[in-house]
Amino acid sequence: MGLNPRRDAGTDSDDRASRRRLLGWLSGVGLFGSGILSAFSNFVFIKPRATYGAPQRFTAGKPSDYPDGTRVALEPRRVCIVRDGNKLAAISTTCTHLGCIVGLSETGFACPCHGSRYDQDGTVTGGPAPKPLAWYKVSLAPNGELEIDKDVEVNPGTYLNV
Amino acid sequence: MSAKKQSVLANVRELPSNLWHSIFRNPLPHNDVERSATSFTNFFLHIHPVKVNKNTLRPIYTMGLGLMSFFLFVILVVSGILLMFYYVPSTEQAYDRMLDLRGSVAFGTFLRNMHRWAAHGMVAVVFFHMCRVFFTGAYKRPREFNWVLGVVLLLITLFLSFTGYLLPWDQLAFWAITVGTAIAGYAPLIGKQIRFLLLGDASVGQEALLRFYVLHVALLPAIATLLIAIHFWRIRKDGGLSRPARAEGKPELSISVQAVELDPKRTYGLQGLVRGPLVKVGNVPENSVYSWPNLLIAELFALVVTLAIILIVSLLFNAPLEEPVNVMHPPNPAKAPWYFLGLQEMVSYSAFWGGVGVPGLFVLLLILTPYLDRSPGGVGLWFSRKRLLANTVFLTFVIVNIAFIVIGTFFRGPNWSFVTPW
Ligand code: HEM
Ligand code: FES
Repeated sequence: MGLNPRRDAGTDSDDRASRRRLLGWLSGVGLFGSGILSAFSNFVFIKPRATYGAPQRFTAGKPSDYPDGTRVALEPRRVCIVRDGNKLAAISTTCTHLGCIVGLSETGFACPCHGSRYDQDGTVTGGPAPKPLAWYKVSLAPNGELEIDKDVEVNPGTYLNV
Repeated sequence: MSAKKQSVLANVRELPSNLWHSIFRNPLPHNDVERSATSFTNFFLHIHPVKVNKNTLRPIYTMGLGLMSFFLFVILVVSGILLMFYYVPSTEQAYDRMLDLRGSVAFGTFLRNMHRWAAHGMVAVVFFHMCRVFFTGAYKRPREFNWVLGVVLLLITLFLSFTGYLLPWDQLAFWAITVGTAIAGYAPLIGKQIRFLLLGDASVGQEALLRFYVLHVALLPAIATLLIAIHFWRIRKDGGLSRPARAEGKPELSISVQAVELDPKRTYGLQGLVRGPLVKVGNVPENSVYSWPNLLIAELFALVVTLAIILIVSLLFNAPLEEPVNVMHPPNPAKAPWYFLGLQEMVSYSAFWGGVGVPGLFVLLLILTPYLDRSPGGVGLWFSRKRLLANTVFLTFVIVNIAFIVIGTFFRGPNWSFVTPW
């Protein structure tokens, strides 16, 4: 096919050329399309739907487990439960600087990694942290337990009344 | 090949020599024709041109840095594959496997040392290779794209080293990666997503370990191998290594192939399609020498030096292994791997600009360098006067970069406050 130049020079050369162009165009579009599709599906594939690590939403006992004035860090969960009178909140203990775990201090929170300090509400009072500590949504599950959802951030100062 | 029949016995007698000659088509070369044939017909040698310019062989020109990067990569692949026989990418086992390498695997410590020190070495050597290329103006036409490939190779080298850092699953690894991926999280809009994709979870854990392992042992080495192959291929096609132009202003020759339709009615051979200068036989004949043995010996020497340094360092110093991961107790200060400590230092001034803005801009500028600086002069000489401006700018970048890394490494103590190392 095509080895004999005289065949190409025949009257059907326009036909052949346009067929070739069509085939080339189809292959190009096909390959390009598959490329886009596979890039997209690989992205979807690689983004986990469910994570195997500690779940982002979990229950943390009954409100009565936390008497007035409690500030207790649930370390593996990376949150601190705060109770002030009838109001409860969950403040993140992940430092907003570079992700270390902050510890409780006299004045609020302190990060051991690069010395960021936060007050009781998680507002930055010193160090390189660029943002206040996150507050997470706290609600009451039907069985009366506290449910904390780390996927939902709420405005600092948003408490759950119990 | 005579028609004469040989006895089987004679065939057997000649077997060793026939076998040998069927593998190595050429005897050790004694004249120039044979020297050419040696480079030409051997799979491993044909990556070389038959002749190289003398400038290429000047030790102080390339300092062998690119070659050393490559040899370090080879050492890493070999030692890495061996380590894979004992390593398990699980948060439960990884650390114990490190202890086993130390305690019960023959040569385990030594292999781990080699792998670790070659990895650190490669980051540094690739960086210095880039500096060499810049200060000799070697990125200029026609080598623009090889420079771009180089920048990508530098990024891949960094990423390879970074993904490997997590695998021992000790305190050093865990917090360095926690801090390092947090820096990535500062990128606007996509930062959080990138971090999540990389870690496979909200924080560093089993998923992150598995992902880093796959990237480290499969994906990134494969990409690096491919890019290095293209990098080498292009050196040939760009006309060999850069060198001072003989007549200023005249662009160097490089192989360029243009298809021209000579005559639609004719069938023609491939040569008919090739226009422009081809192999530069006779181009600068007085200034080139045969690759065998001149280039080969230089390369072997670079290999021996690289190997010797890695072996000696691995005998003398053990790769660090700290306490097993304790998620509750970050070290103070928590530091990223040293090559990212410049970043971390900058992040401590401004999270966005230090972690993403400035480095992003820097990489972009690096990639665009050969397209922004199009002046032809000063190629092939270290610190050419014609390139005073470009070299000064780059040197400033290099010094600032190194300064930040040194500050982050040695002058930052608990709470990231300034300390003196002595
Ligand atoms: C994995 C990393 C790399 C490897 C294995 C590698 C390897 C090499 C080798 C063996 C050479 C031959 C000359 C020499 O030894 O200096 C070379 C040349 C070159 N490299 Fe790289 N390289 C790497 C990264 C880079 C980087 C980061 C850049 C720049 C951003 C770069 C840009 C170039 C250019 C432009 C040349 C041609 C130089 C000339 O013609 O004088 N390479 N590379
Ligand atoms: S991670 Fe908390 S101060 Fe840097």
